[in-house]
Amino acid sequence: MTHFRALAATVVMTLLAACRSGSPPSGITVLIESPPDSIDDRMALSANGQRIAQLITPGLVTFNDESEPVPDLAESFRWVDDRTLEFTLRPGLTFHDGSALTTADVKATYEALLDRTLPSPRADKLEPVASIEAVDDRVLRLHLKRAYAPMLAELTIGIVPEERANDIAAQGRAPIGAGPFRFVAQPDEEHLELAPFDGYYGGKPDIRALHLRVVRDETTRVLELLKGRADLVVNAVSPAVLPMLTKQPGIHVLTRPGTGYAYIGFNVRQGPLSDPRVRRAICHLVRTEPIVEYKFHGLAVPATGMIPKSHWAYTPTAGCRYDPAEAARLLDEAGYPDPDGPGGQPRLTISYKTSTDRFRKSIALVLKQELEEGGIAIDLRALEFGTFFSDVRKGNFEMVTLKWGAVVEPDLMRWVFSSGFIPTAENHFGGLNRAGYADPEVDAALARASAAVTREERKALYAEVLRALDRDLPNVPLWHETSVAIVSDRLRGYSPSAHGFFTPLAKAHQVDGAGR
Amino acid sequence: MIRRLGSTVIALVGALLLVSLFLNLVPGDPIDVMLGEQASNVDREALRHAIGLDQPWYVQIAVFTRDFFTGDLKTSLPPFQKEIWPQIAAAMPNTLLLTFTSMLIAVLLAVPLGVSAAARRGTLVDNVAMGVAVTGVALPRFWLGPMLIILFSIKLDWLPVSGAESVRHLVLPAVTLGTALAAFLSRMTRASMLETMREDYVTVARAKGLARWKVLWKHTFRNALLPVITILGLEFGTLLGGAIVTEKVFAWPGMGTLLLNGIEKRDYNLVRATVLVFTLSYVIINALTDVVYTIVDPRVRRR
Repeated sequence: MTHFRALAATVVMTLLAACRSGSPPSGITVLIESPPDSIDDRMALSANGQRIAQLITPGLVTFNDESEPVPDLAESFRWVDDRTLEFTLRPGLTFHDGSALTTADVKATYEALLDRTLPSPRADKLEPVASIEAVDDRVLRLHLKRAYAPMLAELTIGIVPEERANDIAAQGRAPIGAGPFRFVAQPDEEHLELAPFDGYYGGKPDIRALHLRVVRDETTRVLELLKGRADLVVNAVSPAVLPMLTKQPGIHVLTRPGTGYAYIGFNVRQGPLSDPRVRRAICHLVRTEPIVEYKFHGLAVPATGMIPKSHWAYTPTAGCRYDPAEAARLLDEAGYPDPDGPGGQPRLTISYKTSTDRFRKSIALVLKQELEEGGIAIDLRALEFGTFFSDVRKGNFEMVTLKWGAVVEPDLMRWVFSSGFIPTAENHFGGLNRAGYADPEVDAALARASAAVTREERKALYAEVLRALDRDLPNVPLWHETSVAIVSDRLRGYSPSAHGFFTPLAKAHQVDGAGR
Repeated sequence: MIRRLGSTVIALVGALLLVSLFLNLVPGDPIDVMLGEQASNVDREALRHAIGLDQPWYVQIAVFTRDFFTGDLKTSLPPFQKEIWPQIAAAMPNTLLLTFTSMLIAVLLAVPLGVSAAARRGTLVDNVAMGVAVTGVALPRFWLGPMLIILFSIKLDWLPVSGAESVRHLVLPAVTLGTALAAFLSRMTRASMLETMREDYVTVARAKGLARWKVLWKHTFRNALLPVITILGLEFGTLLGGAIVTEKVFAWPGMGTLLLNGIEKRDYNLVRATVLVFTLSYVIINALTDVVYTIVDPRVRRR
């Protein structure tokens, strides 16, 4: 019997040890779906890592909801000429440790990345920078190797104190920046505690404390919201659940048109899809409106191209209406006649790959049916994401549905549609032009747009590109998914970001006593 | 003893080889996950070399084994190759607490259910008890978990939804994890009880005129316990597996969460280490089961 007593004692002691005395959190709790890979902005690749790092270590510029680079730590910036960018810092900036943020810190931060002394995945992005000149404490000049308009977009990189510029260990453990929230503790991978910073240039955020917690299960995230133990969830609840949530007291579903871009991707290098007429026929057979209405419950906007309507570089294009007769005509012309009239034998068969994600698969089934009604048989394969993505990169597909998480800097189109970025064995399948699309005029326009400096020039060049893409259809635009923030009654004045950033927290207010 | 040690080593080596094999078969390049899509090829190759991914698989396993046992195993993720053992040391107690509590709940539910079902075989009690058991086996955890949260946490407001801050946080995950085992165990208890009841010594005990409860608990139950304990030991593996799902649903910071982190980041070392620890704990529990045998059944000791 002594054995049992010993066992029981052990169990009780383990129980006691596991009970951390915890009072309910007094601040605002944000639920995220997976842990950040790093909270050092220079190292973070995951969406959660980046949006948390932004709160702690902002950069010289950030993006507004129209995807324009706007001053953040900088008070202003201007192009002195097409190879020189000048920044003026806001007056009196301070880091979380109380020290002043000057151009010396900015210079040190950038130089550590430029010298490649840091294994940062973002170091590449500063490659066009030739030298950095600190004119005085507040004025800084960036001299570029060549005219490079997207440079501003890369300067969202978080500024760290000079002595931390080469120290990723300390910065990864307990980052210091000049952001609205300062680091307090990260007890484990699943929890992160931040506090409002009273030295923030925009004023101390009106939130007592910020708790970030990882809850992997979507249902559990929703249940925590219902229970009133979570105050903010951004883009981590699927559209199907939202109508139920909007009806709950004390919970608000806030939306803003998003910048993600979902599309049907083709491999235009071979097979029937190398014929633009077949691609256009597919475009005429796809109806995005019903999918947006019934699958997304209205939480997406049909796309006309890669650039969303709210974006500064947006240009309306003709697109293709739903028109099965025109699709049939194009397929006839392309040499795929209907063997036995409507129904029956298909005109051709196309293989269509997607990931095993339940929501994505359900959309793929709708698209499959729409295309099959037009006589195109679809061989649909849902693959585990790793396998799927590896096939996409290696060009081992005919048709896929994919999305770009956020289309912010339109120079992304240069990576996605220039013939120089077609993935091949030589570049280890690193290129992003997975369609294999090649058009000399598009190449030229994209190259010129990346060197042009004025907004107007760039917009005109991107308009040219968008029209060419609308003509050639290397992919069929589907929709831009809406950015959704679910907030509790305790969080007031939260205005969701188009990019799903957490930065609106800096301007929100915590209201106590409103909890249920 | 030596034979047991030998089989333990074989089990561990097998698990290590299988995990490594499957990791190599899983598509998706860990380098992509670490560096992002737009990294340059020079960086890719440098990193691949730095973390030894350009080595043949047997070298990788050898290095891993050495680090695992010398205790300086680190995650494969640069640039902060975090020590793995402290992470396991933090996660393992949580998982053990969860599995042992659910086992306790399972036993506390299953024994009375099974014994009373056997004692009143064919009656309403038996049917109800076994009906409950069949339902319990059939309920998937990813469904049962949220249902329990909705009932006890949202509607009744008795318990928290998820997390691991207090004993109250333990209740729902432990019940979720233990239900299937309780159901299975109560069926085993009933079957084992019925078998023992047919033994001569039970008949003798009853013929002696002993009280019904005394025959039931002292003569029948004690002897029926052995197969039940065997099952309990074997089912521990199932519990550990179920813990992964349960930990995800309840955001419980245990080994399952650690394993999911590892898989997500394609962190080969973390995945290998967690699976190995899972295997090790399974082997240890089975060894402990043998010890418990000797307590419950003195005959085993004499053999």
